[in-house]
Amino acid sequence: MARAGGITNAVNVGIAVQADWENREFISHISLNVRRLFDFLVQFEATTKSKLASLNEKLDVLERRLELLEVQVANASANPSLFAT
Amino acid sequence: MAVPVEEAIAALSTFSLDDEQPEVQGPGVWVSTERGATDSPIEYSDVSAYRLSLSEDTKALNQLNILTQEGKEMASVLYTYRSCVKALPQLPDSMKQSQADLYLETYQVLDLEMSRLREIQRWQASASSKLAADMQRFSRPERRINGPTISHLWSMLKLLDVLVQLDHLKNAKASIPNDFSWYKRTFTQVSGQWQDTDSMREELDDLQIFLSTRWAILLNLHVEMFRVNNVEDILQVLIVFVVESLELDFALLFPERHILLRVLPVLVVLVTSSEKDSESLYKRVKINRLINIFKNDVVIPAFPDLHLSPAAILKELSTYFPKFSSQTRLLTLPAPHELPPREAQEYQRHYLIINHIGAIRAEHDDFTIRFASAMNQLLLLKSTDGSDVDWSKEVKGNMYDMIVEGFQLLSRWTARIWEQCAWKFSRPCKDASPSFSDYEKVVRYNYTAEERRGLVELVSYIKSVGSMMQRCDTLVAEALWETIHAEVQDFVQNTLASMLRTTFRKKKDLSRILSDMRTLSADWMANTNKSESELQSSHHGGEESRANIFYPRAVAPTAAQVHCLQFLIYEVVSGGNLRRPGGLFGNSGSEIPVNDLKQLETFFYKLGFFLHILDYSVTVATLTDLGFLWFREFYLESSRVIQFPIECSLPWMLVDCVLESPNSGLLESVLIPLDIYNDSAQQALVLLKQRFLYDEIEAEVDHCFDIFVSKLCETIFTYYKSWAASELLDPSFLFASDNAEKYSVQPIRLNMLLKMTRVKLLGRMINLRSLITERMNKVFRENIEFLFDRFECQDLCAIVEVEKLLDILKHSHELLSRDLSVDSFSLMLNEMQENISLVSFSSRLASQIWSEMQSDFLPNFILCNTTQRFIRSSKAVPVQKPSIPSAKPSFYCGTQDLNSAHQSFARLHSGFFGMPHMFSIVRLLGSRSLPWLIRALLDHISNKITLLEPMITGLQESLPKSIGLLPFDGGVTGCVRLVKEHLNWETKSELKAEVLHGIKEIGSVLYWMGLLDIVLREIDTKNFMQTAPWLGLLPGADGQILTTQDSGDSPVVSLFKSTAAAMVSYPGCPSPTSFHIMSKQAEAADLLYKANLNTGSVLEYALAFTSAALDKYCSKWSAAPKTGFIDITISKDFYRIYSGLQIGYLEESAEVSSNSHERLGDSVAWGGCTIIYLLGQQLHFELFDFSYQILNIAEVEAASVIQTHKNSHFAMQGWEVLLEAMKKARRLNNHVFSMLKARCPLEEKTACAIKQSGAPLHRIKFENTVSAFETLPQKGS
Repeated sequence: MARAGGITNAVNVGIAVQADWENREFISHISLNVRRLFDFLVQFEATTKSKLASLNEKLDVLERRLELLEVQVANASANPSLFAT
Repeated sequence: MAVPVEEAIAALSTFSLDDEQPEVQGPGVWVSTERGATDSPIEYSDVSAYRLSLSEDTKALNQLNILTQEGKEMASVLYTYRSCVKALPQLPDSMKQSQADLYLETYQVLDLEMSRLREIQRWQASASSKLAADMQRFSRPERRINGPTISHLWSMLKLLDVLVQLDHLKNAKASIPNDFSWYKRTFTQVSGQWQDTDSMREELDDLQIFLSTRWAILLNLHVEMFRVNNVEDILQVLIVFVVESLELDFALLFPERHILLRVLPVLVVLVTSSEKDSESLYKRVKINRLINIFKNDVVIPAFPDLHLSPAAILKELSTYFPKFSSQTRLLTLPAPHELPPREAQEYQRHYLIINHIGAIRAEHDDFTIRFASAMNQLLLLKSTDGSDVDWSKEVKGNMYDMIVEGFQLLSRWTARIWEQCAWKFSRPCKDASPSFSDYEKVVRYNYTAEERRGLVELVSYIKSVGSMMQRCDTLVAEALWETIHAEVQDFVQNTLASMLRTTFRKKKDLSRILSDMRTLSADWMANTNKSESELQSSHHGGEESRANIFYPRAVAPTAAQVHCLQFLIYEVVSGGNLRRPGGLFGNSGSEIPVNDLKQLETFFYKLGFFLHILDYSVTVATLTDLGFLWFREFYLESSRVIQFPIECSLPWMLVDCVLESPNSGLLESVLIPLDIYNDSAQQALVLLKQRFLYDEIEAEVDHCFDIFVSKLCETIFTYYKSWAASELLDPSFLFASDNAEKYSVQPIRLNMLLKMTRVKLLGRMINLRSLITERMNKVFRENIEFLFDRFECQDLCAIVEVEKLLDILKHSHELLSRDLSVDSFSLMLNEMQENISLVSFSSRLASQIWSEMQSDFLPNFILCNTTQRFIRSSKAVPVQKPSIPSAKPSFYCGTQDLNSAHQSFARLHSGFFGMPHMFSIVRLLGSRSLPWLIRALLDHISNKITLLEPMITGLQESLPKSIGLLPFDGGVTGCVRLVKEHLNWETKSELKAEVLHGIKEIGSVLYWMGLLDIVLREIDTKNFMQTAPWLGLLPGADGQILTTQDSGDSPVVSLFKSTAAAMVSYPGCPSPTSFHIMSKQAEAADLLYKANLNTGSVLEYALAFTSAALDKYCSKWSAAPKTGFIDITISKDFYRIYSGLQIGYLEESAEVSSNSHERLGDSVAWGGCTIIYLLGQQLHFELFDFSYQILNIAEVEAASVIQTHKNSHFAMQGWEVLLEAMKKARRLNNHVFSMLKARCPLEEKTACAIKQSGAPLHRIKFENTVSAFETLPQKGS
């Protein structure tokens, strides 16, 4: 019966595994932080978008108001005789 | 290890990234690589580093994985296959000669499709043979190579599953053989000219056989497997593995569970169909366990709209595998449609979400609270620079537990949805009308409203938990890695060490496996003190690690490590023998004590779950993916339509159900069902890789979203409208009402939705808030427009109702403005009134009121002096008006109940015109348009007078030159006859009526002005009361206004001045100029408000105007006596005409039962008397009026009659009615005169205007002349 197991050079493997743990710690640190950076960017975009949206809304209101005022002024100044007295 | 990057990243968190956006959508952004840890990202190439001689196994494993991947793509090709034949054109008769060309084209088109099918055929053949070869190689009794590992077993199961699915798809898709036969026909047509078509024909026949044989793939696999007769062992191992995993149900997420469920029946069929005795299977797995599993899951989801049933599969396969047909116990299982009603009920209870929603809700609430608290703990730990190792470990361990629980919850919930769908597909709705399509039967009419709501709730739980977990991905990653690391290290360093010391001491080969496990995964450096323990532990770690405290390291084991550990544990318990009886961890005959076995088993399954946790975002994405709810390829094919209408689409049904649902709490989840579209679009692009599906989804989403927004806006508008309407209902009415609660409005939390500026939909960001704002602006304008339209179709009395409705609209605008920045109401009102321009003073409403007065009110309404009301005369000719436009209840008051409540108020005012109407008019028109209206009415008066003039001249002409006093001797009868003789107007009755009408209209206008005057006075007084204390004014005794301070400023000015002085003198005052500005503004306010006081009376103004207008006709209507004294016989004066007219109509009204008073009302007296009064003829009229004289005569007569005959009235018989009417008219005339004297004192001036010579100056010029009115805005400007 062929048994499994039997790492041929257990000591070497052990040392390699140890080194692997350390290397991977470094890798996971880096990759996690890259992901955090990415997360930040995504969230930053989202926040910016909603801030821009609220700014846009205010501008919209102002624009409409301005348009109205312009029309009123144009309308009034087209007929200056009304303001003669 | 200190990484400077970390600090930089930490610095990012100092940015404030808060936005107002509520989280009411599922997770939208997936940051993940394509392959996670679950299948090793480097295809297990690192396994060889552990020197476990697994290279053969790894190679085979990777091969199977690639095949599975390919197979999935094949399956998606088959699943999304749509028949081409239907799209092929037919040639008209005129083009028959180009038939051959058409065949060629058709052939080329179909060839492309068929080549895909051919590819599938080839692929399945190679896959089957590879799978069979793999199984054979790894199941030899004399073992030469290590394996199969657990991951390998999984890969076999997955490939098998793909093959079964493909087979199932091929059977179910009817369009494929259809297309194929067409293809074959065109081939025979086209290939006529080709050479060497034999091989092609052969290939074609092969494909035909493949396509038309049911279960061809499975049969082929069976043949391949049993070419060499030794795969039963591994099949049995697979079955044991499947059964144990299913029974344990610990480490399985739902996709894996469904794979196992789908594969199991096929495995059972394959095993029992072999040559060998199938009894050996039942020795390892009791048949009852199998039957239990099959019975537990009577339907298994396979594709979005296609389910499998183990019983049906077994039954069908028994005809193809003759040996299997002896397994009667398995064959008698009922398929879902054969279930006896009782059992079906049981299953129904199990499958329908609605029966579990209570428990799910509790689970969700409980979980979110605990998850949030674990999250807070973790954040706290991070901020405290944790040195307390135990606490840190506990917090992180707790977080880990929460994540595991979350995954299990999500898996269970999503599985419930899959299974409910499968169940619904297996049991179409019974009481459907035959016109319904199949898809409607299984989806549209198969979910009750309750079930839909339950589904929405569950979907929103899944999505919200998913997005909650998704959001904290990078936050918890370290904690998870650390916890997993600690678990693995604890097991290999502590548990295994103690096992090695005790139970495995004597068993050399087993203990070697255990120490291998330690070698390949132990992280000795992670012990408390790295430098010290390094040397000892790496050499003989077993002795040293008694109570190791680990140095936490945030690194998780690799997929290869997990793979090897699982393999080694399996080796330990199975002894590497496939034929070992019993289960995986079944203890029978094992040399390992139960306790250790238990520990090994727990760790074994934990290892399996680690991978899911390491694959955090992929797992969350898989578990929250509900895209399958949209797909319906099978039903599209069987219904022979291109696409179903959106009413049949489950995601839209859910959105719709939320919008229609009376449960307002659900409204916050309304965006969640739209996430399903996101998921389906993702699936269409990434999983199925079909552009056309994405296009269809996109089209549907576009359509749905439009409808959604418009329905949502309607809901919002109705809600705010009814809220406003219910707030404006009379409180005393509500108090007295029996069921006042039907007028109250259930609050809906809409502000969440109103804040959504980023709705994620198919990769687009949609600003829902701005869309809603846009529509709200529009709908408010539409509503105002509608109210005006409506008013234009009604008479003037409706003005009260219009004002009420506009008030409600304004109030709802105010309420909505708290959450949404809509245009200002006054602006919208101005826009709709068409008086935005600074120089326009009329408005739509004002001109409507004016034209209404002109055409309907003045001619057709009569005045009742007592009630101060105008009512519509019963004699009036009805005016033609357009019919009243109808609209949704939301354009009135919101709901039906509120509408009827408000209508009953409005109805009280709809029959007359009086004070409330005048108030409404004043409030609606305001100071801007009211002068315009007044001017128009005054002009009307002067026009009327001009019109009357020739008519009156006509009447004057037919009067005798002089009319004396009526003689007393004729008595009443004689007098009346005499008067009639004088007034020989018989030929001019029309003229008479017209003059009367003219006078009536003038009277009406004047009375109307009187009402207006009262209203304006009231408003002025109110304003005065409010401003007087600030301006330092006091009302004096006789209407004068006194100032309190004799000199200096009013209180408001002095207050601000002193404040400003005090503030400026204070040294720390930030901006003294602003206070100066404030005090200047107070002065301006003072001036403005003072100027507005004492605005004068509209009525007096109107009377003055009328008198000025009469001036022109003064000479004609009132002849100045030459003598300078009153001439009693003069007959041309106006009062004579009016006298005649008055007696005429009094007589008429006395004679006819339906009297003419109903046509003219009291305003004739107002008009006539005012003109008389203004012409200075009041005294003449009172002296010489015919009816007054007759009344005097009647009095005398009555007195004499009483003297002679005590109690008989014979002389006056027949005249009572007339006399009564005359008395009434006299009373009324007196009332009018007294009013006129009060408001327009003419007498004193007349009295003063006596010339030096003694002759009276007949007519006084009033200081107000017409020219003074030019300051009023011109009508029509």
